[in-house]
Amino acid sequence: MQNAINQLLDSANQIILGKDHKIRLALCCLLAHGHLLIEDIPGVGKTTLAHTLAKLLGLHYQRIQFTSDILPADILGASVFDSKNHEFKFHPGPVFNQVVLADEINRATPKAQSALLEAMEESQVTIEGSTYPLPQPFFVIATQNPSHQIGTFPLPESQLDRFLMRIELGYPDAAAERALLAGESRHRLIESLPVVLPPEVLQDIQLAVTQVYVSDALLDYCQALIAFTRESPEYPCGLSPRGGLALLRAAKAWAFMARRDAVLPEDLQAVLAAVAGHRLRSGNSNSEAIVAPLLQVAIH
Amino acid sequence: MNPHRQVLIFLLSSIGLIVLPHAGHLPIAIIAFFYLLLVWRFIGVWQPQRLPRKWLILLLTVCGIALLYSQHQGLFGRDAGTRLFVVALGLKLMEIKSERDLYLISFLAFIVAASQFLYEQNLLMAAYILMVCCSLLATLVSINSREPEPVAALKTATVIVAQALPMAILLFILFPRVEAPRWMLLNDKQQAKSGLGDSMEPGSITDLGMSDELVFRVKFAGSMPPPAQRYWRGPVLEHTDGKRWTRSANRDFGPFMDKPSYRGMRYPYTILMEPRDKNWVFALDLPAEFAKPLIRNAYYQLITPENPDKRVEYKVSSYPEYNTGFITRTEYENATQLPATPSAKIKQLVGQLQGFDSPPEAFIQRLLKHFKVEDFHYTLTPPLMEQHPIETFLFETRYGFCSHYAAAFVYLMRVANIPARVVTGYQGGEFNKVGNFLEIRQADAHAWAEVWLEHKGWVRFDPTAAIAPERIEKSFNLDELVPGGVIRFAPAGDNALTAYHWLKEAHQLWRHVDYNWQRWVINYNSLNQSKFLSSLGIDNLQAMLYWMIAGIGVITAVLSWVLLHQKRQHTDRVLRVYQRYCQKLAKHGLVRGLAEGERDFAERVKAKLPGQATDIESITDIFIKLRYGRVSAAEDFKQLVQRVKLFKA
Repeated sequence: MQNAINQLLDSANQIILGKDHKIRLALCCLLAHGHLLIEDIPGVGKTTLAHTLAKLLGLHYQRIQFTSDILPADILGASVFDSKNHEFKFHPGPVFNQVVLADEINRATPKAQSALLEAMEESQVTIEGSTYPLPQPFFVIATQNPSHQIGTFPLPESQLDRFLMRIELGYPDAAAERALLAGESRHRLIESLPVVLPPEVLQDIQLAVTQVYVSDALLDYCQALIAFTRESPEYPCGLSPRGGLALLRAAKAWAFMARRDAVLPEDLQAVLAAVAGHRLRSGNSNSEAIVAPLLQVAIH
Repeated sequence: MNPHRQVLIFLLSSIGLIVLPHAGHLPIAIIAFFYLLLVWRFIGVWQPQRLPRKWLILLLTVCGIALLYSQHQGLFGRDAGTRLFVVALGLKLMEIKSERDLYLISFLAFIVAASQFLYEQNLLMAAYILMVCCSLLATLVSINSREPEPVAALKTATVIVAQALPMAILLFILFPRVEAPRWMLLNDKQQAKSGLGDSMEPGSITDLGMSDELVFRVKFAGSMPPPAQRYWRGPVLEHTDGKRWTRSANRDFGPFMDKPSYRGMRYPYTILMEPRDKNWVFALDLPAEFAKPLIRNAYYQLITPENPDKRVEYKVSSYPEYNTGFITRTEYENATQLPATPSAKIKQLVGQLQGFDSPPEAFIQRLLKHFKVEDFHYTLTPPLMEQHPIETFLFETRYGFCSHYAAAFVYLMRVANIPARVVTGYQGGEFNKVGNFLEIRQADAHAWAEVWLEHKGWVRFDPTAAIAPERIEKSFNLDELVPGGVIRFAPAGDNALTAYHWLKEAHQLWRHVDYNWQRWVINYNSLNQSKFLSSLGIDNLQAMLYWMIAGIGVITAVLSWVLLHQKRQHTDRVLRVYQRYCQKLAKHGLVRGLAEGERDFAERVKAKLPGQATDIESITDIFIKLRYGRVSAAEDFKQLVQRVKLFKA
C-alpha cells in the first residue's frame, strides 16, 4: 500500500511541479476521508491537481464550474417528466461522481454552495422526498478564489468546517516554473496517466488509516493545542470538537503515509496549518501564519 | 469590568441572607440603611444607570457614619463593631467596579456572618450561618470559574465546606481554647437570664408570668428521684416585714451548724446551668457532695464563685432524705422573727388549730388539712393584697400560688413559735425522654416552707401540695395546664393528647440535640478541653501544641511531597530519561525547542553530530516507541535508560 502511495506521489509530482508538500497534504486529506478546499488565485494548478488525483486513483471525475447563476439542481440533479412512461425520472447531477471538482465555489450563491456542502456532509442527496446515496469513495475538491476578488461569496465558518483541509498552492518556484514552461501540455500528460491506486486499495488504506494508534501522550499534546486555541486572545474562537477530531484524523493519515503505525507530534504539526487554519480564522490569510503561535505550544 | 449578572444576583442574595439574622439585635435604622443599599444595588443589576454616582456615594458614606455616630457606641465592643461592618458592607456594595471589589465584599460578608456568633450560638443559627456561608462560597466559586452556573457552584461550595469540616472539628477539639476577653462579653451581662429574685412579695403580684425560658438541665447518673422529691433548692428567705420576704441580714452561723446526716438513696447527677445573673446553683434538696468551685452556704444552698454569665456544668450528689440536726441560736432567732405582734384573727386561727398547745407536727398536719378542707384555691392570677397580705389571703381572698401558701404557712408557724422559713427554688421539671434529662424552666419556679423539728432538723413542708397536689406530683408543664389562670387538671381528648404527645416528643428530641450542642460545643472551654484531652491521654496542653504544630508541619511536608511526586509521576519516567538526554545535548548548544517534535529534533541533531547519528536514532526510536507506540516492553525502557546513560554528545 505504501509503495502505491509513493508511486502516486511521484506521478503527481511530475505533473504539478515543486508542490511536493501540498500534494502530500491533498492525498492525506483523501486518505483521511475528508474533503479538500484549495484556495488560490486562478491559474496556479488547482484544477490540474484535482484532475491528476482523480486520474491516478482511477475514480470517476466530474467538474462543476460554479457561477453566480448556478442552481442547486444544476449540482444535485433533478426529476424530469418522462413522457414515454408518464412518470418523473431522476437525472443525477454532476455531484454523483467519485471525485467532484467544485471549481470556484465562492462564485456561487450561498444557496448553491450549501447544496453541495450538504451532500458532502451526509454522503447522500435528498430530492423531492427520495434519498439517493452518493458513490463511494466520494471526494470533493473545491477551489476558491481569494475572496477579495470581485463577485465572490465567501464561505461562512460553518461551511468551511466541512472541509478537512484548506491548502494554498501558491506560485511555483523559479526552477519549477521554468520546467513547466519548457515542458509539454499538462493536459496531455494527465490523459496518459495510469491508475496507480485503484479504488479497492484506496478503501483499504482509508480503513487502515483509522487503525493508526494514538497514544495518551499524543492526546495530551492534541488537547494542549486545542486548549491553546480556545484560551489565546490570538483567535476569535477556538477549535471546535469537530476541529479537534479532524486534526487527529488528518494526523493519522499523515502518520500512515510516513509508514508509521502511531501518530507523532510531528504528524500533528505537519497537518496543523491545513486543518486548523481555515477553522481558526476565516478570510484568506495565510494558514501557516495563522497557526504559527500554535507551533510554539510545548509538546511535553 | 462588568461582573456577570448572575454572579451579582447570587452575591447580593447571599449577603441579604447573611445580614438577616442581625436584624434581631441591630438597631432598626442600621438594618434599614443596609437593606436600602442592598435593594438599590439589586436595582442596579438591571439598571446600572440608577446606581449612585461618586458624590452620592460620598454622601451615603457620610450618612452611614452619622448613623453609626448617632448610636453612641464608639468603635469598640461587639455591637459597635458589628454595626460598623454591616454599614461598611452596605456601602461597599455601591461600588463594585472590579473583581477585587467582589472579593472584598465576599470577605466582609464572611466577617459579618461570623459576627452573628457573638450574639447567638445555638445550633439552628450555626446551621443557618453554615448554609449562607456555603452560598457565599458558591459565589466565590462562580466568580472564579468561567461558568457561573449557580447549582454547580453551590455543589462545589458544599463539597469544599464538607472537606473543610473534619479539619475544623479537629482544630476545634485540639486547638487551645482562648477564653474570650472580657470586653467581648460586656453586653452578655444584660443578656443573662433573670431568674428567682432574692426576695418575695406575694401580695403585690397579680399575674405570675409563666416563662418557658430554660434555667438549667439535670442529667441523673442513675435513677431519678420521684417527682414529689424534685425540689431544686434556691435562696432561703427568713426575714419578713409582713409583706416582703427577704434573706436574713445575719447569715453567718455556718461554722456552728450541725453537719447534716443523710439517709436513703444517693442521687448523683450533673447540672448544666444556663447563663444567669445570680451565682446560685439549684441542686436537688439536699446537696451532699459537690466538686470544688461550689460552696454550700448555711442554708444548704449551692453557690458558685464563678462568673454566672456562662453556661457551666457541675457534678453534684444529693440525698432527698436527710437530718440537719440541731439549730443554732441565730438560726432560731431568724426563723421565728415576726414583723409585729400578730393580729387577733391570726392568733385565733392558730388557737383554733391548736397551734399553741399541741406538738408542732400535729399543728402542721392540722394547718395543711385546713388549707385542703377550707375553700382555698390555687391560681396564677391572684387578687392584689396590699395591706396585711397574709391576713387578706387567709381570711378573704383565699386565691394564691405557691408564694402565698408558703408565706402564710411560715407566718402561722412562727406565730405558734415554731422555727420556720421560706425556701425558694424550682420544683419538678420536664423529663426529656430522648436525652434522658430533666429540663427546669422559669415556669417551674416554686416556694415552699421548711420547719425545724426536734430530732428531725429542718423538714420540708409544701402547703401548695396540700391544695394542688398535681402541681407537685405530676411533672406537667404548668402553662400547658393553666389556659385561663386557674388550673384545670382534666385530661384533654384522646386524639389531641396523641398529637400533643407526639409534638412533645419531637420537641424533646430537638431539645436533646440542643442540650448536647450546648454541652459539648458551646461549653467546650479550656477547662473542658483539658479534661477531654486528658481523658484521651494528653495532659500537657503546651506540649500538645508543639506536637500539633510539628504534626501539621510533617503532614504538610508529606502531602506536598506526595503531590509534587505525583506531578512528576505524571510527567512520567520515560520523559524524564528523555529530558536527561536533551540536557546532555543542550550542553553542546543543541537545545530542543519546547514545540519541537522528537524526530525533527533528532534530524537536526544528527546533522550537527553525524558521529552520534546511530545513538541519536536509536534513542529517539525507543523513546517514540515508549511514548507514542501501541506496544512497548519493559525491556525498552531499560534500554532507553542504558543508552541515554552511555550517550555522549
